[in-house]
Order: sequence, then C-alpha cells, then structure tokens
Amino acid sequence: MDQLLQLFWVFLKINLLSTSGAASTGLLYNEAVGRFLTEDQFIQAVGLATLLPGSDALQLAMFVGYTVAGIPGGFVSLFAAILPPTILMFALVSVLHRIRREVWVSRFVEGLTPAVAVLILTVAWKVFKSGIGDDFDWRIIGLGAASFIAYRFEVPAPLVILASGIIGTLLFK
Amino acid sequence: MKEPSKLRAWFRLFWIFLKVNLLTTAGPTSIGLLYKETVGKIMTEAQFVEAVGFSNLVPGSEALKLAMFIGYSAGGVAGMLAALLGAIIPPTVIMLTVASILIRFQGQDWMKHLVKGITPAVAVLMALVSWQLFRASNPKSIKWQPALLVVLSFVALYIGILPQYVLVGAGILGVILFGNRSFR
Repeated sequence: MDQLLQLFWVFLKINLLSTSGAASTGLLYNEAVGRFLTEDQFIQAVGLATLLPGSDALQLAMFVGYTVAGIPGGFVSLFAAILPPTILMFALVSVLHRIRREVWVSRFVEGLTPAVAVLILTVAWKVFKSGIGDDFDWRIIGLGAASFIAYRFEVPAPLVILASGIIGTLLFK
Repeated sequence: MKEPSKLRAWFRLFWIFLKVNLLTTAGPTSIGLLYKETVGKIMTEAQFVEAVGFSNLVPGSEALKLAMFIGYSAGGVAGMLAALLGAIIPPTVIMLTVASILIRFQGQDWMKHLVKGITPAVAVLMALVSWQLFRASNPKSIKWQPALLVVLSFVALYIGILPQYVLVGAGILGVILFGNRSFR
C-alpha cells in the first residue's frame, strides 16, 4: 500500500512539473532510478515508451508502476499521470471559453501562430534526428520524398504514415 | 458544429484520437497527423493553434492535453471525455500487453524498422503543417509581424529557451504588435 502511494505521488509530481512525456524523462530518472528501478529497467522503459504508439508519459507511468507493483501499480501510476493534465486543461479550457471574445485573446493567438509553427518545425527536426540517428541514407530520403508527394496529392495522412512504416520494415532489413 | 447526432460527433472524436494515438509514438509527434484529421473538419486553424499552444504551457502528457482541448472545442465536456478515452486506450493497452509479456518485443528488429519507416513520413507531415500554419497567419502576402515572430521564436528555441516561455513571449508580442490596427 505504501508503495502504491509512493508511485502515485511520484507520477503526480512528474506530470505537474513537465509539459510532455519526453520532457519528463530527466525528472523521472532522478525520482525513480535507484529507488524503484535499476538503470537498465529505466532505459528499457524509455526505449519502449518511445517505440510504442501513444503518449510517452502514460507509457512510462504504466511501465514503471507495473515493474514496481504489478497491475495495481500500473493503474495507480497511470491515474496519477492522467490527473494533472486533465484537471488543469479542464480549468484552462473553461476559462478560455469565457474570455475568447476579448480582442487581446485573438491577438495573443495571432502572435502564438508563428511561434507554434516554428515549434512544430523544430519538433519535426528532433523527431527526425532521434528516429533516424546516424543512418541517414537514400532510403530515408526516398521515404521522405514519397510521403511529401503523397501529402501533396491529398492521400490521407494516416495511410501515408502506415505505408511508410510498412515499407520501412521491408527496406531496413 | 452542426449536430447530425451528438453521439456520432462523440464517436468521431473517439475514433480520431484512437487512430492518431495508434499511428504516432508520442504527443508532440502526433501534431501533424492531428492537424490533418481535425482542421477544417471539426475545428478551425485558430482553434488548433490554441490547442497546441496551450498544451505546451500546461504540465502533463501532451497527447492528453491535445485530446482534451480539441475534444472540448468540438464537442463540449462529453466530447472532451470521448477524445481523452481515445487517447488513453492505445498507449495503456499496448504497454500493459508488452510489459506483461515482458519484453520479447524490444529486441525485435521489425518494431524498430517500423518506427524508422514512420519517422520520415511523420517529420515531413509536421514540416508541411508548420508551413500551412505560417501561411494561415499570412493569407495574402507575408507580413512583417509574423515573419519577425518566426525569426525570434526560432532564435529563442535554438539558444535553448524553453518552448513554454517562447510561446508566452510570442503571444504577448502578438498583443502588442497586432494591437495598432483594427481587428478583422
């Protein structure tokens, strides 16, 4: 029981102090390694969370919780990771809804737009670098160019991503 | 939104987020796909910018925050819950499965190859979305204010200022820069 409370507290704290799963790994390392997990287990957790589809924050919580205290541990950690963004976002969304018609809010959003565009571009670059590593070659260029053309021809994005993944499993053998 | 039936709108949100969270490996990586699936269909470009902007300001899983914001904009509180559920199911079910079969997956090369294959497509999509957003703030010709904000944000991110501060800064500058003209 004590262990479950500790897990709950750790993941509550981590998800209050960082703004995404990837950003939380440093914090998680300090909180969990040596206490809940070995270094190897931590690396395994981060590796899996990065590879598997969906939110990294939830996967890290799930994996660490499960490793420490089985299925109950997994769910307690998951719940702790879900709680902060849910409550805060709910509060924010309802406030925003009320102030949306104020002129300064639309100007704020107008200022936000270029910054968000740049942020997305830099994330794209990071995703590209961490996903490809040092094996940048013609296959990557080919997949990139082919996806670009496919998007231009309005092929639905999920299809393009799925196809690129499947071709990847064949190409990178 | 028109309401053909609320149930269908909720189911649609659930389905969008289930799909997006199955096809991308984290919250930030899902932005490109999310844009394609939502803008022009269930929300406007400005709402999307708000969703991404505010998700970077509030703490916690980005995937969940995007789901909640978009769900709420498109379908109120119930829409928010539907989207949230869609975003929570894929990572948890898959992680639980993998963690309990303990890790025969991890060494498997096809999994890594799949991710490697997905990466160029995801990155290209994000670059395209980024361009589209920039064009959205410059509908006819490129104006100097957004261009200035782009340069400033880029420099700020490059020298390692945290995204949340860059976004707040850009928003405040926006209030100032776009202040001296009548608003559409």
